Amino acid sequence: MKNSVYFLLLFVILFSCKSENNSKEDESTSKEINVYTHRHYESDQALFKTFEEQSGIKVNVINASADELIQKMVLEGEQSPADVLITVDAGRLHRAKEKDLLQPISNATIDSILPSYLKDVDNHWFALTKRARVLVYAKDRVDPLELSSYENLADPKWENRIVVRSSSNIYNQSLMASIIANDGEENAKKWAAAVVNNMARSPKGNDRDQVKAVAAGEADIAIVNTYYIGKMLNSEDQTELDAAQKVAVFFPNQNGRGTHVNVSGIGVAKHAPNKKAAEQFIEYLLSEEAQQIFASSNYEYPVHPNVENAPILKSWGSFKEDNLNLSKLGELNKKAVILFDEAGWK
Amino acid sequence: MKQAGNKHINSFLNSFYKFKRDINRWSFATLFILLLIAVPVFTIGIELFDGPGESWSHITAYLLPSYLKNSLYLAILCSITTILFGVSSAWLVTRYEFPLRKIVEFLLIIPLAIPSYIVAYAYAGFFDYGGVYADFMLWFGVAKAKIDLMNVFGLAFVLSVSLFPYVYVSSRAFFLNQAVNLLEASRLLGVSERKSFLKLILPLARPAVVAGLVLVIMEVLNDYGAAQYFGVNTFTTGIFRSWFALEEPETAIYLSALLLILVFGLILFEKWHRRKIQYSSVKSANSKTNSRIVLPKFQQYLISIVVLIPVVLGFFIPVLQLLIWAYKTADSFMNQSLLWLSFQSFGIAFITAFFTVFFALVLLYFSKWNKIVAVQHAAKLGVLGYAIPGAVVAIGVMIPTLFIDKYLIEKGLITQFLINGTLIALVYAYVVRFLAVAYQPLESSSLKVSNSIPDSSKILGMGNFKTFLKIEFPLIRAGMLSAFILVFIDTLKELPLTLILKPYHINTLAVKAYQFASDEMVMHAAIPSLFIILTALIPVIFLNKLLLKNE
Repeated sequence: MKNSVYFLLLFVILFSCKSENNSKEDESTSKEINVYTHRHYESDQALFKTFEEQSGIKVNVINASADELIQKMVLEGEQSPADVLITVDAGRLHRAKEKDLLQPISNATIDSILPSYLKDVDNHWFALTKRARVLVYAKDRVDPLELSSYENLADPKWENRIVVRSSSNIYNQSLMASIIANDGEENAKKWAAAVVNNMARSPKGNDRDQVKAVAAGEADIAIVNTYYIGKMLNSEDQTELDAAQKVAVFFPNQNGRGTHVNVSGIGVAKHAPNKKAAEQFIEYLLSEEAQQIFASSNYEYPVHPNVENAPILKSWGSFKEDNLNLSKLGELNKKAVILFDEAGWK
Repeated sequence: MKQAGNKHINSFLNSFYKFKRDINRWSFATLFILLLIAVPVFTIGIELFDGPGESWSHITAYLLPSYLKNSLYLAILCSITTILFGVSSAWLVTRYEFPLRKIVEFLLIIPLAIPSYIVAYAYAGFFDYGGVYADFMLWFGVAKAKIDLMNVFGLAFVLSVSLFPYVYVSSRAFFLNQAVNLLEASRLLGVSERKSFLKLILPLARPAVVAGLVLVIMEVLNDYGAAQYFGVNTFTTGIFRSWFALEEPETAIYLSALLLILVFGLILFEKWHRRKIQYSSVKSANSKTNSRIVLPKFQQYLISIVVLIPVVLGFFIPVLQLLIWAYKTADSFMNQSLLWLSFQSFGIAFITAFFTVFFALVLLYFSKWNKIVAVQHAAKLGVLGYAIPGAVVAIGVMIPTLFIDKYLIEKGLITQFLINGTLIALVYAYVVRFLAVAYQPLESSSLKVSNSIPDSSKILGMGNFKTFLKIEFPLIRAGMLSAFILVFIDTLKELPLTLILKPYHINTLAVKAYQFASDEMVMHAAIPSLFIILTALIPVIFLNKLLLKNE
């Protein structure tokens, strides 16, 4: 009993020492930035470290889902320590903007890098990377000529041949939002119901599991994000590697509006205590050096025009992107979820 | 008329005098502690008056029926299997001698240390194409073997093998302390071992078994990670769906509150059902040490096999899968400071376990010393935090603490948040969430202390505190140690709450594991997960020794 009390004291002292050191540091240099991020990638941590070394600004990271971070910022209000919010989809950034959590940034460097469709109309948020939601198909069972568009997946010929993850997933919600935006609510609902009919199994697992299911012959087509295939093709695990090699990537809707693309993006918090540092941080993440890392280690499509795609991505060829205003995805997110439920997409 | 009126006034005065007589400082103290613990839960409760949002009809029409059905299935299936695994293994290890007993005794606790979503990933990987099972079947010439666990039954299985230790720990504490004396007596009276177990020990073990089971059910009801991966929509899926996807926190809170009522109803029903049974018994000071039965070798092996089933399912298979993944990903961890992460995780879990057990003890005994029955019942509200998803508890903690923080900043007393973004908010939230985990084993072990002992001590002039320290404390020590271990392990693997409330400079192994898993790099989550298990082993081994010393 006594021992445990000593232990406890020791820990409390150790922890408080650590935090005290931090706060002292902050006061003398006042150089830090508080990052609320939904991105959990290893490569991001390496990027943050490089930024710290180059700028001398300490990066404090809070890692949670975008929804939780937004809720946290709402509750913290004006005193929120958050400087920037990073999400993995445009819809959540739009939501943060709607809730008045972000502020406009006019920065010449950022403007020179990003084309207008990759940022908010009012400069509340900016894209960092792009990811496409594509079809992968079993090379031995599907003729790519049979494939055409997302809408085509509703065709009865795909009965029992499609796998896709649950509608709780944000990437599916964004895809659905884009279909609502392009085809209208009624058609979108019919489309979802038809796809549910064509599913080879009820939705489960993550994107990688869908690829594995196609490779194993459980289904012929899966709807997945591009960078997962990139990662699987570079996996340490032989099974994942084999699975990824058995499938091929197809970019849908090339004869129409283009393939659905979503972004991972960043916005400066409305009450950011370190606004200058936050801008510097965004400039860095959009720099060629940082974009190169996003592209090569995480297989995302870079937004910097001078940075090339990773070799694997290049091998799939270039494709036409759906240039739908990304804010639209945020506006239609709730509708998308409701239609999913009504269509019975688990 | 006048007489009737007087009657009313008299009865009112009577109850008032009774109230005045019974109320003591412990009543106030209990209510104060309760308030501290329950503020986050109440904060959520207050939102109830606003009613659910406009999506409510959508949710009841399309989602709730199947969500409820799944949650119900899971709760029932998991109850059956965890009792089967937990009680049988607890009885066998306390009553019989068999090979490997000492190792098995604490291996049975370890499954708790693996976050259940990691167990889910591990099992899915184990039985997937190219997994261990497929390789094994290949020897028999079966190609492309796969067992699909990703359904409600698979989920019930995975949750059962990772949660049965709750039942094991609480029933073992009972068997160690009580059962042997009773059994001795029953045997002296000529009742067979089997009959004594079924007719005497098992009914008496009920509060202990239920204490563990309540934790299992609450954990099952608010599991999110494993259910989401397996594509099984549960009640908690509904909470997150309405909160995030439908953007209606009020609907999410409404659903959480329904869940709370459900769980509280369950607890009350159980209490009501066993209302007339008195469980207390006197443990004589010179009780014999537990002497295990030594059976013939063959039967010993048989027992070993039976006890090893839950160990293999809950520990060896997931750990084997994790080790395989760890081997494949070891290179990328060469320069990671996993030891420092382990140390931080250990520290936070230690502090949390200490405070949680402390508050649970205080709440339990203050409410005992207070004489008002209503206050005694109210104290049970303190355990509700465990039934709510961690992310919702985090919000419940942030609302009142931010109020204080903002007030202090306004008054110019501080410049940065004092509670939020520091260890205070985090540990506070843990205590709110895990109070039940400490309270259940403590309560069940305190039930076994007959009231006559502390009563006679008080008649002899000792105060509440002294009686507690000298008499009750030693008697409930086993329960306290179990409570400490359980909270420690639970904190080690806790996730959503940690993510939302943790200070910048603190990182835990669970957070590390989650970062990989959420990025679909499940294999990379193996090494941090193994470190969680190693860290959990420290108190398990250490406290197990203390527990056995008690024996």
